[in-house]
Amino acid sequence: MSNVPSIDKSSRFKAVQAEIGRALGALAIALVVTAVIVFLTSKSPIEALTQLFTAPIAKVRTIGLWVDDIAKLTVTGLAFSLVFQARQFAMGVQGQVYVGGIAASYVVLSPIGSTPLGLAAGVLAAMAAGALYGFLPGIAKARLGANEIVSSLMLNYIAIELCNFLMRTSLPKPQPGVLTSIDFPSESVFPALVEKTRIDLGLIFAIVSVIVVWFALYRTSWGLKLRLVGHNSRFAEYAGIKSTFIMVSAMTASGALGGLLGAMFVQGQTWGKLTVLFEGGLAFEGILVAIVARSRPLAVPIVAVFYAYLRQGAALMNVRTDVPAEVIGVVTAIIILLVSSSFSLGFVTRLFGAKPAGSAAK
Amino acid sequence: MMEILVTVFSATFFVTIIRTTTPLLLATLGGLIADLSGALNVALEGMMLIGCLTAVIVSVYAPWYVAVPAGAGVGALLGLVMAFFAYRLKADIILVGFAINILAAGGTVFALALATGGDKGTSINLKSGAIPPLDLSGLNAIPGIGPFLTSFLSGHSVLSWVAAFLVFAIWYFLYRTPWGLWLRGVGEYPAAPEAAGIPVTRVRTLSLVVSGALAGMGGAQLAMFNYVGFTRDMTAGRGFIALGAVLLGARHPVGALLAALLFGAFEAFAVLLPGLFNWMPAELIRMIPFVVTIVALVLFSIRAQRALALRGLR
Repeated sequence: MSNVPSIDKSSRFKAVQAEIGRALGALAIALVVTAVIVFLTSKSPIEALTQLFTAPIAKVRTIGLWVDDIAKLTVTGLAFSLVFQARQFAMGVQGQVYVGGIAASYVVLSPIGSTPLGLAAGVLAAMAAGALYGFLPGIAKARLGANEIVSSLMLNYIAIELCNFLMRTSLPKPQPGVLTSIDFPSESVFPALVEKTRIDLGLIFAIVSVIVVWFALYRTSWGLKLRLVGHNSRFAEYAGIKSTFIMVSAMTASGALGGLLGAMFVQGQTWGKLTVLFEGGLAFEGILVAIVARSRPLAVPIVAVFYAYLRQGAALMNVRTDVPAEVIGVVTAIIILLVSSSFSLGFVTRLFGAKPAGSAAK
Repeated sequence: MMEILVTVFSATFFVTIIRTTTPLLLATLGGLIADLSGALNVALEGMMLIGCLTAVIVSVYAPWYVAVPAGAGVGALLGLVMAFFAYRLKADIILVGFAINILAAGGTVFALALATGGDKGTSINLKSGAIPPLDLSGLNAIPGIGPFLTSFLSGHSVLSWVAAFLVFAIWYFLYRTPWGLWLRGVGEYPAAPEAAGIPVTRVRTLSLVVSGALAGMGGAQLAMFNYVGFTRDMTAGRGFIALGAVLLGARHPVGALLAALLFGAFEAFAVLLPGLFNWMPAELIRMIPFVVTIVALVLFSIRAQRALALRGLR
């Protein structure tokens, strides 16, 4: 993750160009691999690939799904970008989404929920809960040196079970035994921006988040310190920057974004209520978005646009053909591997030209 | 209260602990080897999961002693892939690890759907094999303590014995052979072994391969003994718990054994709890291993900080 800021404008432009080239190259390789897999396994490969690449823009409804996914992937991508820029590998966005969703649900289902303040109160509660959940592994690392990867992952599992537990026992349900809460009062549900689609206020939240995170990282002293800690924590320490404070605050801010995403799920047009496993594995996709965007907040939404399209295409392909949506996991892994490495198309040709076997052993 | 004590000290509980510990221990040993060489292997989870599926699918067509090495072999291959991207293509090893985890989460479901003809949840339609329990009822012949020994030692998976032996073997390798010294040196301060002409990257690559093989073997135990068959995401965080167990075990094989036993005991406890207290919510019981991991990690970190302070390093 080397994003050394260059002073020279033209070299910066070249660097951006190179990054885009690498990202597109990785995407192309990943798609070729997908196509090969589909051709090998599907009975109707052409139909499957057509669905993958064209289904999301075929109908207004599916475009709505796509845009909704863009908003959500943007927020999780930003959450991961923040911690990645500080070189913390906190993987807790999933847990933050769940506690955020739970907190929002409790606030929204209380009497506050049916007042005009309900919507804002739910979002704020979700962000606060997420921030707290991001703070915990941060403070454990700063004070005790507890590995943040392990602790944040454990917190994810705990949050999921907590959601299941509260869902079953404490939250009001339409009838006993179902695993969803009653619908939220309409005052607290994000209004749809486009009628009859899932495009809602969450999209605005996502856009605002991009601007806020960009501003915080590149136009405030906190952001400068954070990036310094990320590039070279020892140097930052010598320069008098409290790297532990930066670390904890980055993880807390990222947690607030995770919590916001939780509110976007449960208060959005997608659900408008709390259900078990409402997040559906989206939070972890932020890793890919952040990596391909090189943790740059302004690049995150662009990556999200492409990746959301792929995700929706895969989901629709899953429904309409015999190819499971999980094939997209293969695409994701290949893209992460290629983009995070110093791969280039020249390298690939060199690799196959020079030494095909035993290549890892040096 | 009595019920708990009776259960905890019974032979069945002991056997359950060994069963729940074995996959964890194998993965922890894998994490340990990689960690000591300076290559943090966050892909243990994914390697275990792919190991599970491979072992299950191979066991449909071949006996268990082929399926287990197949699981381990796939893990080793993933270790090689990790090393290739991390060292040859200079990617961040943690990101590479997570890429493998993502590949495993999606890829196993995809492969399962192909193998079962569309079933994306479980391998229930596949007639997969199991690792046979090792029958030591011959110990009954020992006068006096024979039946006692039998009830505690008989009926474990073959891999449990392998894992126990590996704890010793890895300890011997790390602390009594020159290669073990190389490995630890590479992890501790890579510049020095580099200067001494030790191939740092090759050492790390090999440790990742071994690490993957152990995690894959852990997966095989999970899918061919603890449970027979594959379900999606069946590792359920065990690879990440193993990562915590490496740190908790103070990066030492015996410590790894103790940490794995601790987590295994709590998992076994969680297995038995519903039968003892039906009022306890299942969700909270399922949380136990994760909460214990965090608590143990925090407590251990406090101790490690104190130890550093005592040595005057902080």
